[in-house]
Amino acid sequence: MSSRNSFTKSIGEYSYVFVFLAIFAIFAFVSNGLTTNGVMNIFRHSAVIGIMGIGMGLVCLVGEIDLSVGSMLAMVSGFSVCIYNLTGSIILTLIFALLFGALCGLINGFFVGYVKMPAFIVTLATMLIYRSFAQYFCQVFPKTILGGGSSVYRINSKLESYRSLYNFGNGKISVVPIVGIVLILIVILFTYITTSTKFGKKIYAIGSNRKGAGMAGINTELTTVKIFVICGFLVGISSFMWIAMNASSDPATTGKSYEMYAIASAVLGGISMSGGKGKNLGVLFGAMSYTVIDKIIVALKMDSLINDAIKGIILILVIAIQILGPQLKNKLGRN
Amino acid sequence: MSLLEMRDIDKSFNGVPVLKRVQLSVDKGSVHALLGENGAGKSTLMNVMTGVYQKDAGTIIFDGQAMENITIHKSEEAGIAFVHQELNLFNDMTVWENIYLNKELVSKFGRVKKKAMVEKCRDLFRQLDVDIDPLEKVENLKTSEKQLLEISKALFFNAKLLILDEPTTSLNNDEIAHLFQIINNLKKDGTAFIFISHKMPEIFELCDTYTVFRNGEFIGTGKIADVDAQKVTEMMVGAKFSSEDLYQARKTGNTVLKLNNLSGVGFENISLDIKRGQIIGLTGLQGAGSSELMQCIFGVTSAICGSIEANGKKVPNHSIHSAMKSGIAMLAANRKENSVIPDMSLLENMYISEHTLSAKNFHIHKKQEKEKFEKYRKMLNIKAQDSSDSILSLSGGNQQKVFIARWLNTNADILLFDNPTQGIDVGAKAEIYKLILELAKSGKTILVNTLEIPEIQKIADYCVIFYDGKIVKILDHKDINEHTVMMYSTNAANV
Repeated sequence: MSSRNSFTKSIGEYSYVFVFLAIFAIFAFVSNGLTTNGVMNIFRHSAVIGIMGIGMGLVCLVGEIDLSVGSMLAMVSGFSVCIYNLTGSIILTLIFALLFGALCGLINGFFVGYVKMPAFIVTLATMLIYRSFAQYFCQVFPKTILGGGSSVYRINSKLESYRSLYNFGNGKISVVPIVGIVLILIVILFTYITTSTKFGKKIYAIGSNRKGAGMAGINTELTTVKIFVICGFLVGISSFMWIAMNASSDPATTGKSYEMYAIASAVLGGISMSGGKGKNLGVLFGAMSYTVIDKIIVALKMDSLINDAIKGIILILVIAIQILGPQLKNKLGRN
Repeated sequence: MSLLEMRDIDKSFNGVPVLKRVQLSVDKGSVHALLGENGAGKSTLMNVMTGVYQKDAGTIIFDGQAMENITIHKSEEAGIAFVHQELNLFNDMTVWENIYLNKELVSKFGRVKKKAMVEKCRDLFRQLDVDIDPLEKVENLKTSEKQLLEISKALFFNAKLLILDEPTTSLNNDEIAHLFQIINNLKKDGTAFIFISHKMPEIFELCDTYTVFRNGEFIGTGKIADVDAQKVTEMMVGAKFSSEDLYQARKTGNTVLKLNNLSGVGFENISLDIKRGQIIGLTGLQGAGSSELMQCIFGVTSAICGSIEANGKKVPNHSIHSAMKSGIAMLAANRKENSVIPDMSLLENMYISEHTLSAKNFHIHKKQEKEKFEKYRKMLNIKAQDSSDSILSLSGGNQQKVFIARWLNTNADILLFDNPTQGIDVGAKAEIYKLILELAKSGKTILVNTLEIPEIQKIADYCVIFYDGKIVKILDHKDINEHTVMMYSTNAANV
């Protein structure tokens, strides 16, 4: 009896794995068999949104929200292109992307954590600001820095180190895409942080009962700021991967709606929007589920504009099942 | 004539029986005490009666009518009102809006008739001798006024039976007296009450009859006049309870906590010199300053002037963290709001405070933590299956023990206990007193803030009485008794 109970309990806890497997099965079916390449591409295409989703998941765990990550991706990746074109150094570009992302997160975190403004408002504002900066400076910066593109940040492919940068974005180690490996490493790192470190426990405690966490000695303000900085830092990594993969960044479209996909991945992965509940690992499966949906639509040769409708419907279905399931079980159990 | 008859009620959750053929009978115009430790099944029975849960078996007869398939709406309509311990009021709305919520008087065109409703509220309040302005916002009311408002709300819609779940927990003695007077008046008009409380003196003052449950079973019922507190307590807790006096004088050491002319919001000019191993009781009416002082010592609020010295060192710039580093810990009042981290396990709940002190060693050693938990589980007699269970699966008393373990685990030697036995049953209370005495013996210094004087009498070396933000009297252990403490805390001594 009890072993069966714990079995059904773990099914509920890991429902995101089953959602992913179901979607994956459909993909295998419609694409007439799987190729190693096709499967590995799921990692490649989940990398940017997956890493952003991990950050969003942390923000959701403390009961906040960050709407600015999509715009942040556009701005950080755009400016990183400029840094690369100016310096020709991959290392400097990476450092810039990480620090600039963290700074953008710090701005969000300062207003949410210390000024105690609602995260929705603060990040709505910075969403507008970051996107606007990305587009404005794309007009203002000299052409040489922009890589010769008009209204787009383009990497100067004549630079000596360009090959290595391209390889990072598009290369493979044996069969696995390098960006996919980065994604997996980051998931492992944050799974460790959220489950086995004291900092991780603080995140859950704050999301579960902010006042209680404060009375237990946790500095809730500082921890909130740190979470936003980490979220920005992860957007920095995503930005660097974006330019390595695409060799350019269009300030008008890069990262558009990505905040919503990131939130959806986190929620699909079982993270509660009110905080305190959910697993970091779920976000990986949430993000991969969405990547696979993209691929199904391509395989079926459907219009890509129907994409968001299907993603939306799946989100509603999965969450409805999660919420209705226990209620139905209760009702049946009663009779 | 009995207004309510509940016979042979059974109820189980997931196959675990929580009510086993229990009986309850309440007469018209009487106050019936429903007694039992936490987890005895009182709340479950009340929830069955009001339609929150469905009974598995048994009969319920209310006002001559058999009730089946009760819903919350049905029970309200029949005239049963449940005044919950956590008040169900809307703080952002006015008093009259709260009373009339979802039952507004409206004109033909759907416009609410505010004037008429406010007038009716005034009438009722006058009748009840309650001094509340119907136009006031609920958030501006005192807790006692909110309690009275809940009761008024029930009476407004002709409740015949009111269930009062620990109505006096957050009231001071004057307010309690006022509440009792109102209950007695209503009783004369035929309204019946079920009174759930852990405070014996109140039960003997107010109630006419009683029923005792233990572990979901019916133990006994009868007239209050035929029993005494000792007997009722025995019925409630079974054989395990002993009321022996646990207090022993202890050797005390050097000064560990020194307050120099400390002033803050709600208290002023407090100077105390507290020695290692002492147990100090702080008391006073609600808002008199004792709880506020504790919060200030722990760094929740900041001091306006004066200083705090712990272990010979000044506690710097008042934050909770700096207080913790100075070896101060506080078991906060209002457990649900300030202590419980609902999504976390027992182990996690116990360890979060220690984690903030040892944050530099970021890795969690699960095995060591589990061993430590087992140690505290034995030491504090926490009744729990496994350290990974949810904190919400424990009763109030056991939750409180987990939070005591949380602070002991930080190696604090100055422990501030703010209302530590709030909403805890008699058995667990006795355990907590014993624990406090043992901790003091082992060299911890303990300050207990409580409004319950018998509690202080049992454990405190001396008792500091607050009135209007100042210390009015310090009583030695042998001089502590309800009468004297009440005299000083109501400032009757200085009239």
